[in-house]
Formats: sequence, C-alpha cells, structure tokens
Amino acid sequence: MAKYYDIDDIIMEEEAVLSIFKKAASGVGIDPSSEIDFIETGSKVELPFWLAHELKLRQAVSVNVPSCFNEKTRSEIQADSAGVDLRSRCPFFYEFGCKIAPIVDDRKIGILLLSAFKSRYKEILTKAHTVAFAAGSKFWTILTKEEINLYETARSAMASFKKWRMGGPRFQIASVLGKKRKSTA
Amino acid sequence: MAGQTNHELSLFSAEELEFIAEDETVDIVPNLKMGPLNFISGDFGPFTPQIVTQVPLWLAIALKKRGKCSIRPPQWMSVEKLTQVFEAERESQEMSDQLPFHYVEISRLLFDHARDNIPDVHMVRPLIEDIRNLRFHKVQTDLEAFNGRTIAVKIKNLSAMEVNIVRPFIGRALQAFYKHDSPELIPDPERVSDRRPQDVNNAPRRQLRR
Repeated sequence: MAKYYDIDDIIMEEEAVLSIFKKAASGVGIDPSSEIDFIETGSKVELPFWLAHELKLRQAVSVNVPSCFNEKTRSEIQADSAGVDLRSRCPFFYEFGCKIAPIVDDRKIGILLLSAFKSRYKEILTKAHTVAFAAGSKFWTILTKEEINLYETARSAMASFKKWRMGGPRFQIASVLGKKRKSTA
Repeated sequence: MAGQTNHELSLFSAEELEFIAEDETVDIVPNLKMGPLNFISGDFGPFTPQIVTQVPLWLAIALKKRGKCSIRPPQWMSVEKLTQVFEAERESQEMSDQLPFHYVEISRLLFDHARDNIPDVHMVRPLIEDIRNLRFHKVQTDLEAFNGRTIAVKIKNLSAMEVNIVRPFIGRALQAFYKHDSPELIPDPERVSDRRPQDVNNAPRRQLRR
C-alpha cells in the first residue's frame, strides 16, 4: 500500500503484458479497431499490468511471461549481465519482475533478477565511485531506474567529497550582496 | 517514499563533518601570554609563550590565523608513522586502527592552515592520500560481496569521512538486495538446501559481513 502514490510504481504498472482470456468478456472494447465489443475465450490481448493483475485475481485471464523476460534476454544476462541494455527493454526491470513473478507461472524469474542484479551491482559499485562522469556516461544509459538511483547516490556523495577536498572558502558571499547597489536619486 | 528520490538525505555534508572534527584536541605552542579562556565546552588554560598547551582544533586554527601560535602536528602525522600505517594497510584486508576517526578532516585542516608547522609536508600529503585510496578500495571490495542474506555489514575502523561517503549507497544497496532475494520470489526447495550448510557452520545467528 505504501507504493500506491509512488509515481515510479504507477508508470511501471503501465507496462503491457500479453494475456489470454479464459472467459468471454462482453461489453469491453479493448481493441478499438474491432467491430464487436466483446472478447472471446482464448483470445490474446495486450493489457496493462494493473489490469492483468486484477483480472488474474478473478481468474479471468492467464498471463504470459512478458517480452522483457524472454529467452533472448535471459541468455544475454547469463553471458554478461553488466553489458545488457536493460533500460531499453524495460526501465523498471527489477520492480516489474518482482510484481510479475507471483502471477506468471514461472519460478525462475526471481533467480534471474537476483543474478542479474548481483553482477550489475558490482559494476555500479566500482564505476560510480571512481570514474569521472564523461567516461561513465556510456554505462549509465543501460541501467534501469532502480540502478540509476544507486548510481546517483554514490556519485553525488563522491562528487561532494571531492569538491570539499579541493578546499576553497568556508563561507561564500551570498549572490544577492555581490551586485553593486545603485543609489536611488 | 520521499527519501528514495532525495540523494542527499542521509548524508552529512563534508563541511559538517569537518566541523565535528574540529573538536579534537591538538597541541599548540603559543607565542603570547594570555589568561585562561572560558568557553562553554571547557576552560583552556593560561597561555605562556613556548609552553605546549592542549586546545581544541577550532581554537588552534583561530589562533594560528591571527599569528598567535604554531600548531604541533599530532603524533600520527609524522612520515615514519604514516609509512608504517601504509605498509600495514597494504598487507592485510582489515583496516588499520592506528589512525584517528577524523584523520581526513584533521589532515585537510592542518594542510590548509598550518602548512609550515608540518615537517616534510610534501611527503606527508601524498602518503595520506595513498592511505585514503587504499582504505577506500578495501571498503569497495568488502561491499562487492553482498548477497541477499546480508542483514548487516560490519567493517572495522572506518574513518568518519569514509563512512559518510558510502552511507546512503550501502543503505540503498542492502534494501535492493533484500527485496530481490526475499523468500517469496525464490522457490522454497532451493532455500532449504542452502540453509543447511550454514547451520553446520556455527556462524553467529545474525550473519554479519566482515
């Protein structure tokens, strides 16, 4: 419930998920181009995650594994997680996986997430703390939102430490005082 | 959830840490004669020329700026001691405990204000930098080996500035690991077989990463 108002959560739940209707649904027009306004049993429809989740609870659909967790991604992750561009697949890879795992019949998602995260985490750790921004920016574009969070935290801590180390005046004149005051005639 | 997006939240700023570090006592050699000073934090004794007195660092720097004293660098800031610490750091994975908690801040303050009072300053400064880099690398290697079962992290003898830099990062990383490695996500039989060797280990109940 704590995530109800979380913007990231709301955006993440918009992700489309392929689901198969187990019962016929009448009066709904999910596909605007079709003439009839009910859905037959067994038809495959792309629903947003929040809708699929609710319908699954009512046993009305069965949900397939979404495309970002397909075999191609899995083999890429196993080969080299740190280089996989997760952001283009799904910017909320980990969150989404956590939500999907209970409703899709696939036990391996959790392990996949964990192993991917572990190795990428090591990369984030080293790169965030040491490398200057320009060189690290290429790496940054393939991280998911949650990983970017971590990365930013470390980087800003490191940057402020370096800035302090440079030295400089402890007190700075407020910018308001810097301007010369015009004397009003 | 607001804390998740604010990166600076659990961080002391470096200036704040420096402020706290200024409470440490150092030795000074005053070159004036003055009566005792009474402050809220304590009384600092009568100052006589050429007699070593202990004062907190902030007072020492204030006096030094006015040219009223010269600061004696602390024990650990000599070239021999620092080389010794450096060698010790290189050898073992554990952090050495020879350096005081605030060594980074104290050394920076002294370099800025009391450069002429430190013998061999051009050697001391790089040594301290090297020691700092080395320790930070050790922290990083320690952090690399997290996994979901890590409940707490224990690294001994970290200094204030080092702790401050990694504090928010460790918190978030631990959170993320906890979320991903939770038991609902991973099916039960795998977990059970994992746990058995741990019980045999006689490890402490809460697993602390050393």
